[in-house]
Amino acid sequence: MKVVTGVVGNDIHVVANRLIELSLNARGFEVFNLGVNTYLEEFFDAAVETNADVLLISSLNGEAEGWAREVKLIKSKYKTLDNLVMMIGGNLVVGTADADTIVPKYKNYGFDLVFHQVDLNTGLDTLEEYLKEGKVS
Amino acid sequence: MSKLLIDIGSTYFKVCTDKAIEQHFRDFNKDIYDDLTHKCGETIRGYEKGDVYVCSSANGGLSTLIIGLTDSYSLKYAKNIAFNSGINIIETVIYQNIEDYSIPSDLIDVVIVVGGIDSASNIFDATLFGYLDKLNYSNIVYVGSSAEVANLQKNINDLIVLPNIIDNKLHIVEENLKEYLTNLYQADIVGKEDIKSLYDITSNQIYSTPYIVNKTLPLLDANFSVVNPYILIDIGGATTDIHYSKDLVDDNIVTQNEYDRLVFKKLGVYKSKESLIFAAENNEFTYELLTHLKVTENIFEESGEKALKVLMQLAIFLVLCKMSHYKKAYINLKLLSINSIVLTGGITKVLSDEEIEDIISFFYTKILNSKHNPTVVMDKNYDIWTLGAKGN
Ligand code: B12
Repeated sequence: MKVVTGVVGNDIHVVANRLIELSLNARGFEVFNLGVNTYLEEFFDAAVETNADVLLISSLNGEAEGWAREVKLIKSKYKTLDNLVMMIGGNLVVGTADADTIVPKYKNYGFDLVFHQVDLNTGLDTLEEYLKEGKVS
Repeated sequence: MSKLLIDIGSTYFKVCTDKAIEQHFRDFNKDIYDDLTHKCGETIRGYEKGDVYVCSSANGGLSTLIIGLTDSYSLKYAKNIAFNSGINIIETVIYQNIEDYSIPSDLIDVVIVVGGIDSASNIFDATLFGYLDKLNYSNIVYVGSSAEVANLQKNINDLIVLPNIIDNKLHIVEENLKEYLTNLYQADIVGKEDIKSLYDITSNQIYSTPYIVNKTLPLLDANFSVVNPYILIDIGGATTDIHYSKDLVDDNIVTQNEYDRLVFKKLGVYKSKESLIFAAENNEFTYELLTHLKVTENIFEESGEKALKVLMQLAIFLVLCKMSHYKKAYINLKLLSINSIVLTGGITKVLSDEEIEDIISFFYTKILNSKHNPTVVMDKNYDIWTLGAKGN
């Protein structure tokens, strides 16, 4: 399974990004890490070039919402990304809000899996479950 | 033994001996050989064929069409390699939308097809072959996913296959395609009838000028008062060439090269004067700049030295705009980190240091709101080209 990952926008928080790469590798994924400061077009372009299964976006500094609003529109311009699993995590709002409001909002923006201030391993366990179920159905 | 260096450009040519540099406007009623021997015959006859070195940018280079999967990777990488191989004319097609593009009617010298890391498959299909059937081209090279090679070889005649320019970490691999394009460009220059005749005066290989300049760049800060990182601007008659230190781009392109090249094909002061003026008229700061230079737009109608000066100043300004974050372009340079701006070519004969500094500070103040002030280095004696040409 191929995963493209990186930190969206003008966000330079790099620590989680490194951990994500290590953890995904340890779980046997093939990882394409675009690092910090990555724009949505670059994420999608990388998914096309690698034929990725999963796009895992991090956002830590509070910019997520601004970018996430654009996701559907930009993704719709690509003809080969219909099966891409879309995942986002980190600090998805500025300030505090609970998951009950955040998760539906981001699902509406086009994400399949949403993790606001959720620990990485929990998130990746969920991803693996999700992929397994997807294969069965 | 001293050498004679000759550079043939689209608008003028220069001839450099140990003692002096001569520069002449080309007479387009004559072919290059006749024009050159008519104006500099005396000088040329003083040298053995083995001591004469010629380079040329006169033919404008190869025309290239790149078909790639995405803007950020395949097209960007292939474009970068093509520019660094000295190529000026580059059109791009995003493969998924290939049916929306009109087919260029002119003959394309080389088509580059690229896309995908090696493990990506099922990328290209009949839409590509259908498009290529309608296209008029001389060479075609494939530098994408190895999983697609068999499919493409079966369906495209005379396809050259080289290793993928995108590695398994999505990084660029330059060397093979660069070597292929450089050789093709070389063969193209030499194949042009009027350049071919120049082998009457030299027994050395004739190179493309951008190739020569690119070779000199790593030596620049040792030989000039140039401080890294820098950009080098060569405003020519037909195109404007930029060479820049890699440190100036925040980019996914990580290569061995310390310097990259970029070309603006519509920003020249003679052959492409019309399009330069068009670009100026579409830049919202042009009128302020003209006022700053104490002229009006009527200057565009004029010819003569004052008009040429203004055009060159505009060219510098527009080129800087195109590379700055003010305009989203193929590449945006971190212009606030530049320590030196090097200018070479005819411009150094026309504008004074002050006139250039004036434009550069206008650009930094107006567009970047900054007092940043890189030093201007003028290559008045064509030392950059001489250094590169001598190194052969
Ligand atoms: C270190 C740090 C910095 C450093 C970053 C250095 C670097 N290059 O990495 C510096 C000082 C540069 C910095 C700058 C800023 N920071 Co800061 N920074 C932090 C800090 C203290 C720690 C971040 C960190 O590395 N944590 C360790 C890693 C391992 O944890 P993590 O990032 O939280 O990631 C975990 C989870 O979120 C999860 N995760 C991450 N991505 C994903 C994705 C998925 C799919 C899943 C499942 C899980 C997941 O996995 C990780 C491990 O569990 C946090 C506060 C905090 N304690 O978290 C603030 C914090 C992230 N920063 C913040 C802010 C606001 C900024 C600035 C805007 C400050 C400013 N005004 O200038 C700038 C922004 C700069 C920019 N352009 O991005 C805010 C963000 C607030 C928000 N989102 O509402 C925080 C939360 C501080 C706060 N409480 O206000 N920062």
